[in-house]
Amino acid sequence: MIQLLLLPAILLVGLVFGVPLIRYAWLSLHADSVVTGLVAIPNNGANWLRLINDQRFWQDAIQTSRFAVVSVGLELLIALAIALLLDQRWRGRGVVRAATLLPWALPTTVMALGWRWIFNTPYGPIEQLAKLFGLHTLNILSNPDITWLATVVGDVWKTTPFIALILLAGLQTIPEDLYEAFRLEGGKPRAALFRITLPLLQPYVLLGLLFRLAQAFGVFDLIQVMTGGGPASSTESLALYSYINAMRFLDFGYSATIMIGSFILLLLACILVWAIIQQSRILKGALK
Amino acid sequence: MSLILQDIGRRVGRKWILRHLQLEVANGECLALLGPSGCGKSTTLRLIAGLDLADEGSILIDGQDVSKVAAVDRRIGMVFQSYALFPHLTVAANLCLGLRVRGISAAEQQHRVASVLALMQLEEFADRRPAQLSGGQRQRVALARALLRDPLVYLLDEPMSNLDAQLREDLRPELRRLILNGNQPVVYVTHDQHEAMAMADRIAVLRDGQLEQIGTPQELYLKPSTIFVASFIGRPQINLLPAQSGIVTAIRPEDVHLSEEGISCRIIDIEWLGTSQLCLLDSPKGKLRMLCNSQIKIPENVKVKWSSEKEHHFNSESGHRIN
Ligand SMILES: Nc1ncnc2c1ncn2[C@@H]1O[C@H](COP(=O)(O)OP(=O)(O)OP(=O)(O)O)[C@@H](O)[C@H]1O
Ligand SMILES: [Mg+2]
Repeated sequence: MIQLLLLPAILLVGLVFGVPLIRYAWLSLHADSVVTGLVAIPNNGANWLRLINDQRFWQDAIQTSRFAVVSVGLELLIALAIALLLDQRWRGRGVVRAATLLPWALPTTVMALGWRWIFNTPYGPIEQLAKLFGLHTLNILSNPDITWLATVVGDVWKTTPFIALILLAGLQTIPEDLYEAFRLEGGKPRAALFRITLPLLQPYVLLGLLFRLAQAFGVFDLIQVMTGGGPASSTESLALYSYINAMRFLDFGYSATIMIGSFILLLLACILVWAIIQQSRILKGALK
Repeated sequence: MSLILQDIGRRVGRKWILRHLQLEVANGECLALLGPSGCGKSTTLRLIAGLDLADEGSILIDGQDVSKVAAVDRRIGMVFQSYALFPHLTVAANLCLGLRVRGISAAEQQHRVASVLALMQLEEFADRRPAQLSGGQRQRVALARALLRDPLVYLLDEPMSNLDAQLREDLRPELRRLILNGNQPVVYVTHDQHEAMAMADRIAVLRDGQLEQIGTPQELYLKPSTIFVASFIGRPQINLLPAQSGIVTAIRPEDVHLSEEGISCRIIDIEWLGTSQLCLLDSPKGKLRMLCNSQIKIPENVKVKWSSEKEHHFNSESGHRIN
């Protein structure tokens, strides 16, 4: 029975993901807060009704999606450029490849503190630079319109290496002789990028995309340390909102509802991305 | 002469992996590059194709020096050992790609691809991906792609090495018909001497990046110019007798025969090969291989001889032939 061999993996995944998920889903159908004396009492979906009418939840959902889409999009582009560069042979490549990984190896809280300092008003280097060029104070971390972009910068800096690594691994699976055959066919290097590299890299891009999208959608530590969700909740992510409900308001029932709610949103988003990719593949096939 | 290599060499770091290679291949001629693994066969093809540049010497195609011309512009039709088909494209798209990047009109693309698919009997596979083809079918696609290139020179790097023995034999006539019918020089790399003899007009034997001998299959078989060529060409392998006063005598197993006036030997082993049998003998001159008709009943002790005209003599120091 070959399936039997999968049992430990299934059990482990079930334990790590399934149990908390079921527990949270169960909790979301109960009132469980200081008011109830931290005892779970069934409340007939009152949490869910509250969620649907919760302005702050939807605002956070939009903010989280915006953050995730923009950071992952930027990360993919930059990572692709880095991976293509690291795939070429040049002197000192090994050192650069190792250096590229450094941001990924740094704990998020540490690097988030670093970024908070970089964007600090008035002492951070960005403000100092702005002053040098005679600009006004930028107030990056206290302007609700632009603070989220600062968190995007932090996230891009931190996780681009991860995608670059996935793409680099993908690039290295492409046999060299495909490029040589293409050259003999009269193909120029730029054409090779679009006709060979990118199509063959597609599964790796998809992998990075889905993986990172899910991760960025659950962003917590970076936001917590860099901005604490502010100013005026403008950078608050769903995970942070859930955390605030549990840890500040001690409302575990509603916190669980937010978690499960954002899980459902993420699932829908992933299905959407998947469908779009499938669709584009079908489109391409039809054009052939 | 249409493809000429003048004293070309290729260096990796400080080591020459190919040196002083001098070859000429006429239009419509097939030259086989033969040699053991790592002797520089693929390197030679890559230099001709322009995938690598020669560190010395020059390459002429149709009288033009292309040594400095980029691979993109050399008009070479090459079949790679791995076939190098684009895995994400169908057979038809694989064949189309080159035409497209060379800016040939869509109608012309359609027409040419359709006719080469018909020629290679690949029509029913046009919409399949390479992964969905057998080794022989992939090879035909790779060949079709080379044909579509309308090349000045054909280069084939062990085009049969991924196929089983039966398929190789079946494909040889087809390959000959398709490629050798053309009016281009063909360079055919193989490490299988039977294939080389079957396919090529002339064979160049390489060893450690140097040309050992070049000639027709008959010349190589009848007058090998070095010990290396003598033992490389012809199966079962030639007998090398122990050197005497600086001279190595070699005799082919098929030239050794039973005779009452010969030297007495003891049979060690007999391999039955169908129409012939290969006898391993223990003789006063050392171990000998003898190839004889399989009808003959071989006793334990035999007497064998050969005519001295059939002997090859080599200088034991240099390995060169002495006439
Ligand atoms: N890029 C390279 N760097 C270092 N050595 C190389 C390189 N390319 C080839 N060589 C060396 O050059 C020699 C010839 O290689 P080549 O690939 O031409 O052999 P070949 O005759 O095609 O062998 P095979 O029958 O195994 O394909 C080998 O010893 C190989 O190790
Ligand atoms: Mg080779």
